[in-house]
Amino acid sequence: MKRLMEMFLRRLGSLLATLVVMSFVIFLLVEIMPGDVAQMILGQSATEEAVAALREARGLNDPLLERYGRWISGVVVGDLGDSIYMQGVSINSILWRKVGHSIILAMTAFIIFVPLSIFFGVLAGVKEKKPTDSIISFFGLATMALPEFVSGVILITVFAVQLKWFPIVSVIPIGESIWQNLNIVVLPALSITLVMFGYISRMQRSSMISVMNSDYIRAATLKGMPRRYVIFRHALKNAMLPTITIIGMNMGWLFGGLVVVETLFGFPGMGSLLMTAIKTRDVPLIEACVLLITVIYSVSTMITDIMYSYLNPRIRYQGGQK
Amino acid sequence: MKYFFYQLKKSPLAMVGIAIIVFWLIAAFAGPSMISFTHTEMDSMNQMAAPGEYGHVLGTDSLGRDILSRIVYGSRSILTVALLTSIFSTVVGILLGFSAGYFGGRLDTAFLRGMDILMAIPPLVLSMVILGILGDSSIASLTIIVSIAFVPATARVSRGVLLTEKSQEYVSAARIRGENHLYIMFVEILPNTMGPIIVEATARFAYSIMMVASLGFLGVGLQPPTPDWGMMVIENKPIIAQAPWAVLFPALAIASLVIAISIFSDFVSKVLIHER
Amino acid sequence: MNDNILEIENLHVRFSTFDGLFSAVNNVSLNLGYNESIGIIGESGCGKSTLAFTVMRYLATNAQVEGAIRFKGINLLENSEKEMESVRGNRIAMVFQNPYSSLNPSLTIGFQLDEVGMHHQKLSKSQARKATIEALEMMNLGDPKGIVRRYPHQVSGGIQQRICIAMALLCKPDLMILDEPTTALDVTTEAVILDSIAELRDTLKMSMIYISHDIGVINKVSENIVVMYSGEIVESGPKKQIFENPVHPYTRALINCMPRGGVVKEKTKLNTIAGYVKRRGVDEGGCPFADRCDKKNDTCISKYGTKKIGEHHYAACDRAYAEDIPDKLKVRITPIARKKDPDFDSERDLLKVEDLHKIYGNKRKVYAVNGIEFSVKPHSILGIVGESGCGKSTTGHMISGLFPPSKGRIIFGDTDISIGWNKRDKETLKNIQLIFQNPGRSLNPSHTVEKIIGRTMQKLANINNAKERREKIIDILRKVDLGKEYLEKKPRQLSGGEQQRVAIARSLSISPSLIVCDEPTSALDVSVQASVLNLLNDLQVDTHVAYLFISHDLNVINYLSDYIMVMYAGKIAEYGKRDEVMENSHHPYTEALLSAVPEVDPTKQKDIIELEGMLPDPAKKIKGCPFAGRCHKQVGEICVKEYPPMVQLTEDHYYFCHIKP
Repeated sequence: MKRLMEMFLRRLGSLLATLVVMSFVIFLLVEIMPGDVAQMILGQSATEEAVAALREARGLNDPLLERYGRWISGVVVGDLGDSIYMQGVSINSILWRKVGHSIILAMTAFIIFVPLSIFFGVLAGVKEKKPTDSIISFFGLATMALPEFVSGVILITVFAVQLKWFPIVSVIPIGESIWQNLNIVVLPALSITLVMFGYISRMQRSSMISVMNSDYIRAATLKGMPRRYVIFRHALKNAMLPTITIIGMNMGWLFGGLVVVETLFGFPGMGSLLMTAIKTRDVPLIEACVLLITVIYSVSTMITDIMYSYLNPRIRYQGGQK
Repeated sequence: MKYFFYQLKKSPLAMVGIAIIVFWLIAAFAGPSMISFTHTEMDSMNQMAAPGEYGHVLGTDSLGRDILSRIVYGSRSILTVALLTSIFSTVVGILLGFSAGYFGGRLDTAFLRGMDILMAIPPLVLSMVILGILGDSSIASLTIIVSIAFVPATARVSRGVLLTEKSQEYVSAARIRGENHLYIMFVEILPNTMGPIIVEATARFAYSIMMVASLGFLGVGLQPPTPDWGMMVIENKPIIAQAPWAVLFPALAIASLVIAISIFSDFVSKVLIHER
Repeated sequence: MNDNILEIENLHVRFSTFDGLFSAVNNVSLNLGYNESIGIIGESGCGKSTLAFTVMRYLATNAQVEGAIRFKGINLLENSEKEMESVRGNRIAMVFQNPYSSLNPSLTIGFQLDEVGMHHQKLSKSQARKATIEALEMMNLGDPKGIVRRYPHQVSGGIQQRICIAMALLCKPDLMILDEPTTALDVTTEAVILDSIAELRDTLKMSMIYISHDIGVINKVSENIVVMYSGEIVESGPKKQIFENPVHPYTRALINCMPRGGVVKEKTKLNTIAGYVKRRGVDEGGCPFADRCDKKNDTCISKYGTKKIGEHHYAACDRAYAEDIPDKLKVRITPIARKKDPDFDSERDLLKVEDLHKIYGNKRKVYAVNGIEFSVKPHSILGIVGESGCGKSTTGHMISGLFPPSKGRIIFGDTDISIGWNKRDKETLKNIQLIFQNPGRSLNPSHTVEKIIGRTMQKLANINNAKERREKIIDILRKVDLGKEYLEKKPRQLSGGEQQRVAIARSLSISPSLIVCDEPTSALDVSVQASVLNLLNDLQVDTHVAYLFISHDLNVINYLSDYIMVMYAGKIAEYGKRDEVMENSHHPYTEALLSAVPEVDPTKQKDIIELEGMLPDPAKKIKGCPFAGRCHKQVGEICVKEYPPMVQLTEDHYYFCHIKP
């Protein structure tokens, strides 16, 4: 346990360092954006004096580092600034509701694809080179290769246009919350699931195959343990360890996927918000969204890393004798 | 090579994959000259024509533009960008990953830290933000930015394969006969890492197509009038109920190409791994 | 009741692969009696493991099996998978070569042993645990209650293998199959395990099949030997008969190609077997050994089959001592006069090492070499012997410049070369060459033999003319018995022995004055090892190059060396002229090592000195004698507290111990 705690603290430290550097990079990226923020706020018709005055008032003429300092100190205390496009609206008031929607979407997808892809990956691995394996593997290859918006379009055509089971566009009527409109989550979640399923089930399959070919599985079989028992008690845990890392690494794809899927379905989440922010060149909003994605992504990678070490006795009980 | 064809004969799936890739290459190269409509021509009499109607093999969109010619024309840009991207990101990945892994120590730590930071933003989000900020994507800017987004992945793969080879005794043998670092990296080690690197590059090719299509879909890819498969999907999405073909065919074009390349990449990795 | 527990009858095992169908086990018949132990011996690829796995009914899906395997009268090949489950681990248990990978890394040791009893004998959890503890105690494992709570990676290799054997013992099986169980272990650990296996046989009265490539190992645990070659049994019988009167040419050749106790280079040339084991297609008939056999005649293909030679002694051929063909062995056994070089006894050392240290790592330090001093005389062979982790390879690598020492000096001729390769001059790089353990890995798989050898010549001998270089390469290839046709080949197309020859040719091509040989034969089969040792010896006599020969195998070291240095935990235990060290050893570790070496001659068995415990933790600096924790002659506190002094016996023979001669 002490080792784990140590590792957790070390990881947390490097996470914070990454985030500090990252926040600066994000800030830099967005600040060098062509176009003048003050001009954008006031519109094309504003006089030069007015623009200059606003620049001065917002501190846009200050050196880069000073502006970064101001921004980041706001971020640390939870003040993400105001949106430019939606004038005067604080980012906090729009962002968190949408983040909530995205998290519901991501969690729904997560709950579907993790058990599903592990199950089918293990199944394909156990039945290596048999028809079951070929079908699962090909299906996985195909869904993995499809960008979310392509599988999304196919899902829409089938389930929304033809069968009319789900809406084509994911809109939450004004005044209602997402919980009253959960049917809008289904199709977006499925399109994310498909991509993730392909990737993770294939990884799970190959790790299952390599475990099944290992010496200790041979040893367990030759101890007379029944095949089912060997698979569940001896193989499964070792074969799932690498999958944890893979899932963590793919959280990045998942977030990229969110942006695409939310745009396709018009889902009111963080991804489509980011997309709008980019289109309207809403600097503070872009910064807030990207920073948040980075934080969520980094934290989820860290969690998977720690889980991996916790579940792997070779790391948990390192040291002692060779 | 002989073994490649031997395996190919045994694998009908791989043959189909290669056939599809060849089909798209021919389409991109010679396709536009074989279709009677151009990609920007608006047949205003026949908006949202169904496939086969009025000579539009795959129908038209809401502006009456021929879907087939837009798809065929769009294959040029996507294949160009994806090919360049996979080559660039692989080459840069080799250079970075090899130097970091070979010299190790502080350089390696700095490299890993840098990659960690770059990887903390999902590649799609990274390219989307930069392209959105820059505006007006061209083939060049798209290629450069997607390549940058991919470099952390390719560099890590290169570094990984270098590290396995670096511990081999033939590297030690080269050192104690006084070879310089460049010779060891590129004459001794590189040829032995080509297998995994080629596999990674072909997989990268498929990812590039997915990425470029997704960026087009998000509206930050190539700008009109250049037709872009991803863009076609999103611009025709509002008419999906009336004219599903306008959305489905470009989507299927992406699907067929990416699946074909993935099958090919899978096959290449099987062949190269068996050879080892 | 039948008096055999296992009867294998006309067994064939074939595998269908990319290159077609090949035969792994061919027409094998074998009987094993109750409480009998047989050892199966053969080189790699001769089908001994396949035979074992066929008995366990554990084969890949591309295998085709024919024949019968009757275990207590029941044909295992006709059993259902379910019926096999109740045989495996219960009535027939198996122990594998690599204990580390045979234990599940994510389950505790206790769990992995308990499940056997719970499954086969339907024991409750606590009963199973009790049986587990008993089995562990039977294998002389101290603190079994602590061990069961640990994970496999937390115990050493020797203990892991004892745990695996204990696991096999849990259900008191009727038959135990051991597949090279000690090959991955050090010789002193091996000796202890072999001892407990022999003991177990007496107490448990079980039958045993012991598979090994080493006759010496089999001598300790079995009374009967089965010799396999290319999937077939070529000879079988009591070990004494097989050793003293082998009738199959392969058996005889195999026994004679092992460097064994007392065999040294000045008196005997090792026997070699030409060629290497080839995969056999299914339609090939006749003697599988014919293509490598010295005594081959026209009956080898047509009249081939097992004959009875004596009581319990069978062989497929009896031409081992056939007189119609001159006997290569007899001719070669005459002593060869070693060329005496005028300055062989030169007082000037070729290489001198002073207070050499190597510490790896920054935060977690590993003390690999902890202050050693020795010298290499010109034109001589110094053999360094020791178990894994003793620092012998690290020493060799520092001398050849792979990395600089942490402390101390290496002096070559007049120059101080205590620096890494990147700082050494060309002359030094040329003069000190290194031959690696694994020839497959030391030759670049992408380059041709010509490039591999040529690049070294170009780089270090300044031979830049391609044509001239090619001439010289052909020349040097001839010296290592390889033809011109090898120039264009890549390492992958060569056998292990051929690869090592190319590596030797590479080192010799630039006429160095010292070659560091780092376990050059330990990845090779014995017959190939013999030819490489002969070659190294001939080349040394011929070119007067000096060798620093590193090996874990005392027999090999004894055969080839002029001087021997025994290392333990990064320190020198004993140093001296070969015969002095071998016949008059003084350090307790040398004694233990000598006693542990398996003896090929079954009549010359000796008592081993059992070493308990293991190497000291390399991450700690040791104050006293590094061997103190395991020493059977420890004299007291002083051993732990104080590093022993050097005891000089003669000018060239010294050791480090608190015990005076």
